[in-house]
Amino acid sequence: MAERMQICNLSENNFEQCTKCSICTTVCPVAAVTTDYPGPKQAGPDGERYRLKDPAYYDKALKLCLNCKRCEIACPSGVHIADIIQHARMSASEGRRATLRDTLLANTDLLGTMANLVAPVANTTLGLKPTKWVMHSMMAIDKHRTFPAYSRQKFTTWFKRHAAKDQDAFPNHVSYFHGCYVNYNFPKLGQDLVKLMNAVGYGVHLLDKEQCCGVALIANGLYKQAKRQGRVNIDSIRASVSRDKREVITTSSSCTFNMRDEYPSMLGIDNADVRDSISLATRFIYRLVDEEKIKLIFKQNYKRRLAYHTACHMQRMGWQLYSIELLRMIPGLDLVELEQECCGISGTYGFKKENYERSQAIGSILFKSIEEAQVEAVTTDCETCKWQIEMSTGLPVENPISVLADALDVEATRKANLISD
Amino acid sequence: MRMDTVIMGGGLSGLSCGIALAKRGKRVAIVASGQSTMLFNGGSMELLGHIDGKAVSNPLEAIATLPQDHPYSKIGADRIASLAERAKLLLTDSGINMEGNAAANHWRITPMGVAKPAWLTLNDHLRIDDLHHLPAKRLALMCIRGFFDEPNSMLAQGLRDLGFEVDAIEFTTDDITALRRSPSEMRSTSLSKRMMSNAAMQRMADQINQLATDADLVLLPSVLGQNDDSDFQTLQAMTHKPLRLVATLPPAVAGMRMMKQLRHYFKMLGGTYLMGDSAVSGTFDGNRLTSVSTAKLADMPLKADHFVLATGSFISRGLVADYERVYEPVLGVDVDADSDPDRWTRFGILEPQAYSRFGVATDGELRCLKQGQVIENLHAIGSVLSGHDAVKMGDGTGVSMLTALAVNDHIIKG
Ligand code: SF4
Ligand code: SF4
Repeated sequence: MAERMQICNLSENNFEQCTKCSICTTVCPVAAVTTDYPGPKQAGPDGERYRLKDPAYYDKALKLCLNCKRCEIACPSGVHIADIIQHARMSASEGRRATLRDTLLANTDLLGTMANLVAPVANTTLGLKPTKWVMHSMMAIDKHRTFPAYSRQKFTTWFKRHAAKDQDAFPNHVSYFHGCYVNYNFPKLGQDLVKLMNAVGYGVHLLDKEQCCGVALIANGLYKQAKRQGRVNIDSIRASVSRDKREVITTSSSCTFNMRDEYPSMLGIDNADVRDSISLATRFIYRLVDEEKIKLIFKQNYKRRLAYHTACHMQRMGWQLYSIELLRMIPGLDLVELEQECCGISGTYGFKKENYERSQAIGSILFKSIEEAQVEAVTTDCETCKWQIEMSTGLPVENPISVLADALDVEATRKANLISD
Repeated sequence: MRMDTVIMGGGLSGLSCGIALAKRGKRVAIVASGQSTMLFNGGSMELLGHIDGKAVSNPLEAIATLPQDHPYSKIGADRIASLAERAKLLLTDSGINMEGNAAANHWRITPMGVAKPAWLTLNDHLRIDDLHHLPAKRLALMCIRGFFDEPNSMLAQGLRDLGFEVDAIEFTTDDITALRRSPSEMRSTSLSKRMMSNAAMQRMADQINQLATDADLVLLPSVLGQNDDSDFQTLQAMTHKPLRLVATLPPAVAGMRMMKQLRHYFKMLGGTYLMGDSAVSGTFDGNRLTSVSTAKLADMPLKADHFVLATGSFISRGLVADYERVYEPVLGVDVDADSDPDRWTRFGILEPQAYSRFGVATDGELRCLKQGQVIENLHAIGSVLSGHDAVKMGDGTGVSMLTALAVNDHIIKG
């Protein structure tokens, strides 16, 4: 009886567990830079009480939330603060149409497909002053932003032409959810992953069907579309796991977090049977090394000093340690682990004109710490952090997989893992 | 994943132990769920503040009289002085500048204006060595307009009762006024972020210089310096009078600062800090703990030679009570707690409460027990330990740091 009473009292988001300690507000990057945002305690559990009474209490300022989840990590009482806020936004947006700008920004794959076709033109066009002016004033995309360059050749095109045919020959296999960024903007990261996995005896395969994971759709209120795409992805992942017996790996912390945790909590997509089979590549590789199933051999004369930035969603997953520990295996790599701070971009948030200044103010603590670290480059698992840090610090930013692939002695590694040519 | 030592809990005790071990070249992982109760700390550490309701003036002497089951007695009263010295050094190495003496308590001032015995206090915070020789005669208590976290009239009255002449001076600046648009955020931690720029600090200094002309000492709520004491130094250089900070209601900037500095130092020493993760279970092999599973690392448990339980008391969920029993939720180790729930509490919020002395049971070396058997490689430190009472005895932070260092010594010895 006693036990049951304690259990029955729980709401889905634990909101009644809030003790009003305000610890969440101390870590919110938005509340730190603007008084327009009431902060997680007020926007989350406090506001929820009012909203339950009457939805009219919804506060428009809630759209300023980055969904970075830092408040949830800090909360000692296990309140799912950011989920409460996102759900409130979701119910408030029902029946409302997203703006053209938001739809465009949210559809990273649509934008990508168009841009790939005309990459050289798109890169110059998106970078040109008049274009930027139009985007800034007509579409409210901030003029300071440089769109990440679009690649001429999609990752999937490269893969099918140059890599697909060799993959079956390997003794072990994984599927790769590459995500929009690898496919349209930066195929090299995907190529690095293939290089690394092949060297340790793993063939890499594409999923039956892959669609944008929808992280930007959710952020921009396009929930229906996000749900449709999410279903396609989970179905393909399920096929890979149960039919092909292949785990699914990714190179983006945001896609991973979205598919593992936001699909069930935000979109109501049941992924319980495959959730454990979706992993960031660094976690997957670390496990193989830890269980002594593979060996990584690195170049002798490698020398670099890098700073590792923990993306907010990476910290929410608690997996930064895999990337960090793998990087620390590279002799000659001097790794500075930065104090976790939000970079301020949060996907498409920082692209919007109304958010630009706030976005940069949020990131300023991180940018300062990068400057002080005196490194030649930064490494992080999130692609939007990459854009933001590159734009704001001028330093190049690489995914840990690319750093590993670059430092790897491929020949020696293949030999050590008994892979013949 | 294999470590030399895995510490469950990332608060003051967990970090102190982790820093000491990492300094000796050990591979240490700290599993830290959320923020710690250090966020309630207003800038002081205490070794021992009260015995039976009476203020302690010499903690070292008083500790020798504590009962056998107090963590200090388990460490050995004769070792306290040297451990306290080492704890202070550890803080200094982390960039936390505090002053104090283990053989003579000084006084810290609570936000309610009450003087409480303390062992160490941050250099930029108000500290009174001797209540009969106050450090100043006339105080200007700067009260921030619309500020939530300082009960100004109580604080002013408390200071007057101690013998100060107090001018309570209300003030504001543009930066503070801007923050008031969101009244619920007029909190010290939000203010400290606002106040980080030199321009904002100058506006505050101008107000102080203009309003606090005939004070010997200017007191300002502790709203400066989330990262270190450099913001305070900047403001002090801009003001004409000597300046000290006074503790505010929690969450406190001072505690936040100390946590950041300890965490930063631990990472600098190569330690692994798993923020936002929590230990959920352990695997035992006879009388040894072999690995600990965490919520986020899921099926990849942390293996280690030594484990340290530093998960805190009830508020941090290191201890859990339901309607029938008190238990330790992660490893299910033995607890010292009354079996009759009717005796856990007594009426009157200010009365000593039995539950505040509950905690995990340990042997003389602070090793945990499971079903009466000592677990050889599992130590407990800090607030999760039984036999002390942070609220009534004022021994919380001291127990955290000193048990952490004592356990470090046990682990290093092997
Ligand atoms: S998710 Fe991030 S931005 Fe939103 S309330 Fe929480 S801490 Fe603030
Ligand atoms: S940290 Fe958690 S318990 Fe504290 S105010 Fe925020 S939601 Fe409530």
